[in-house]
Amino acid sequence: MTVAVPLADREAAYPRGLERYGRPAGIALLILGLGFLTLYPMAMLLYGSLHSTPPGMAGTFNLDGYANLATAENLQALVNTVALSLVKSVLSLALAILLAWIVARTDTPARGVLEALITLPFFIPPILTATAWAMLGNAQVGTINLVWRWLTGSDGTLVDVFSYGGIVWHMMQYSTPFMFLFIVDAFRAMDPSLEESSRMSGASRWQTFWRITFGLMLPVTTSAFLLSFIRGMESFESAVFFGTPVGIKVLTTQIFDLITQRAQPDYQSATAMGFASLALMFVLLLVQSRLLRGRSYTTVTGKAYAPSVTRLGAMRWVTFAICVAFFALTVALPVGQLLLSSFFQFFGFYQLDMLTLEHYRNVWENRQFWGAFGNTLLLGFVGATATMVLGGIVAYITTRTTWRGRRLIDILAWLPWMMPGMVLGIGFLWGFAILPHAVPIYGTLWALLLAYIALGTPVAVRVTSGAYAQIAKDIEECSRVHGAGWWQTLGRILVALAWPAFAVGWVLIFFGIMRELSASILLYVPDTEVLSVVMLKMWNGGKPEDVSVIGLVMLAMVLVFRWVQLRFIKRRISTL
Amino acid sequence: MPSVTLHGVGRHFGALKAVDSVDLAVEHGEFLTLLGPSGCGKTTTLRMVAGLERNDTGTIVIGGRTVSDAAADLFVPPDRRKLGMVFQSYAIWPHMTVFDNVAYPLAVRRHPKAEIRTRVMAALRLVEMEAYAERPAPALSGGQQQRVAIARALVFEPEVLLLDEPLSNLDARLRAQMGEEFRALQRRLNITTLYVTHDQEEAMALSDRVVVMDKGRALQIGAPEAVYRRPASRTVAAFFGTPNFIEAEVTACRAEGDDYVLAIEGAGAQGDCRAGQAHRPGERVVVMIRAEDVALGRPNEPARAGQLAWTGRVVDGVFRGSRRSLAVEAQGRRLNVECPATRAATIGDTVTLTVDADNAWALRE
Repeated sequence: MTVAVPLADREAAYPRGLERYGRPAGIALLILGLGFLTLYPMAMLLYGSLHSTPPGMAGTFNLDGYANLATAENLQALVNTVALSLVKSVLSLALAILLAWIVARTDTPARGVLEALITLPFFIPPILTATAWAMLGNAQVGTINLVWRWLTGSDGTLVDVFSYGGIVWHMMQYSTPFMFLFIVDAFRAMDPSLEESSRMSGASRWQTFWRITFGLMLPVTTSAFLLSFIRGMESFESAVFFGTPVGIKVLTTQIFDLITQRAQPDYQSATAMGFASLALMFVLLLVQSRLLRGRSYTTVTGKAYAPSVTRLGAMRWVTFAICVAFFALTVALPVGQLLLSSFFQFFGFYQLDMLTLEHYRNVWENRQFWGAFGNTLLLGFVGATATMVLGGIVAYITTRTTWRGRRLIDILAWLPWMMPGMVLGIGFLWGFAILPHAVPIYGTLWALLLAYIALGTPVAVRVTSGAYAQIAKDIEECSRVHGAGWWQTLGRILVALAWPAFAVGWVLIFFGIMRELSASILLYVPDTEVLSVVMLKMWNGGKPEDVSVIGLVMLAMVLVFRWVQLRFIKRRISTL
Repeated sequence: MPSVTLHGVGRHFGALKAVDSVDLAVEHGEFLTLLGPSGCGKTTTLRMVAGLERNDTGTIVIGGRTVSDAAADLFVPPDRRKLGMVFQSYAIWPHMTVFDNVAYPLAVRRHPKAEIRTRVMAALRLVEMEAYAERPAPALSGGQQQRVAIARALVFEPEVLLLDEPLSNLDARLRAQMGEEFRALQRRLNITTLYVTHDQEEAMALSDRVVVMDKGRALQIGAPEAVYRRPASRTVAAFFGTPNFIEAEVTACRAEGDDYVLAIEGAGAQGDCRAGQAHRPGERVVVMIRAEDVALGRPNEPARAGQLAWTGRVVDGVFRGSRRSLAVEAQGRRLNVECPATRAATIGDTVTLTVDADNAWALRE
């Protein structure tokens, strides 16, 4: 059987030039861009670690950087880094499971509000709580100790945050809500029939919790734990605030110290240490992926389950109190401290005649602050938007197409997971310094923007691919069959359906940029400071009261965006 | 001119041939069903017609236009094939109202607003959903979503309508009702329809012609009754119900009309059966006998000339409401028999089984 086909029809049906060559060209461009953001700083890290002079200067290549690493001090820093992160991850995990269970599976009153309160510390920049706790838990003049002495009449010290315990506590304030966010969803997304059939098989409530509920959540829990552990090792704020003054060293503060606190910045050693920590992170992430391979019991089916709720009786007021106490310690107390110290001449001396608005005036008139405020907002908006666009495209290509090159794109976009901000900062420092002068990135906001996009891309890819995964392939194909082209389908169906996730992701990235300190501290120059950098500088310059004011401004921004985000989430739940 | 033509269409995944060189011509206004077990390639075939998957071999012609020609590297993307499709999951877009869902095929093609309004309302009226136009799509029941999906597929008045197991997500009662409604609508609009299902009863009730597929190949194409009563192979025969297969030897063969009547001998019985082609005496055949075509008689009831007959014992009986399924052991073999539920048959009873020549169909081994 032969079919006669008019020639004109055939020609019209052939892919046009743009369709045929546009896609490979676009993919190549994307790979180049991602490579510049992720692979390039990594390669430059290796280059810099072997290079005997600071970035941009002629020098020779040797292994001195790595040779210098082998000191007792660095070994101590490594042990500190691992031990601190391990301890805080274990404690945070236990606390997060408890809180998540209370919120998701008990009849504790006001659970919706409690959930918003418990997760709030995750969105507060660590530098803000660090300054607050440095004032709350100072051994001599910390507010907690002052109150303690006033209450008991003793002259003892209740807490001293400038200690191992202080570092752990400060890191926990961030990582507990972080793990909570993972675990509470796992608690909620579970099909109740899985637990019911356990009860029907004769298991007690307690047995069911451990063998079924906890067992099903194990992959999520393990993954949250490992991620938190890795993030803990990358943490900079807690150690620089509470460790450095009393000589407790970790890897990030060691790198920081080598570059910024020496008469002669030792870039080579710092870079070598950065590359070594990169290798360490790589090993940890390999372990993580091995541990988690094939263990994601997808209990999430997109169905809205009504999980079974445990009736606690009078105990529900105890669980209520636990949640409130967590919020009080991680948010109310630090914010109260910032308010308090912003209104007194010197923090620690709270007498009525010391009340003043001077710090507000100082900050208002501080040009450095306004510059940083503007930079942070600009970088936040542009950075979050650019990162979400990039992440959205990467996620689409890697999860919903079979195009060539998508594996490479996936890997490139994932690389920043294993780069601590500080390490990426050094990598870009080298990378920007050796670019030709016609490409002036170093010393401009571009440097910070590129670093933020690189750091945010893995998060953006995760959020958007999660959103795409919820949209059945049918929904997209149905649009194609009924006459919509690829771009029309992307806009009218995929983005239209996934935009709440995009909005949520955008706000997450924005928070990430606002909070970012460790890369910024290496990449800023006097004109491109951001708020977190200014806070650290003013803190070290002995102006904790002014820092409190800036902290409150940041907090106001956090609350506004968090409120907007919560509204988006609500909207999403009601439409999907 | 046929509405849809597939010529040598195949889809390969490495060594696996998901669809292996399928030839098909769907006439204008015809309701053609691709029927087969899961994994037989029927959905892949439909998706290649839709343009959701590329065919690795062969050509696809829709409405006189070649939309895909593997040899010439020609491939028209799905949005330019002017089709309507109903998905198994209905794929109702949850972020739109019923109206917007149905309007979509016109909206993306930039039709004027007023025209969209009239055509969407007309399409919704066809499926009796015009009262729901402003409802948000997620607020619909399964049957209503199904109607909306049909309206959306019809609104553009496509050359061909594609349906991928559209009834499989409905409960039995609704499935029958929606099937009939849809068949009536299809007849009224006289729209060419390509339908995919694994449900044989659905396929027979709805289709003008059925394509039975297995392992990527089209085994037989024909009217439902022909495919059911005169299957081309044992596989096709076994796909519908639980027929009995009797090995036998041909003793004589004569032509009668378009068919042949064979005299056969096997399984302890002698009699006549029908066949699609001539057989030589001495040739071995497999005779298919549908369970409902076996007549149940009293013990030692004499058989008429030409009838196949056995005497056996009832070994199993299942009451199914409208009918009764029996297993009868005769000559060391088990025969499935469907009889009216009112026919009492106790396990252990001795019965006579007779089959008319018209109800026995010979297949090559």
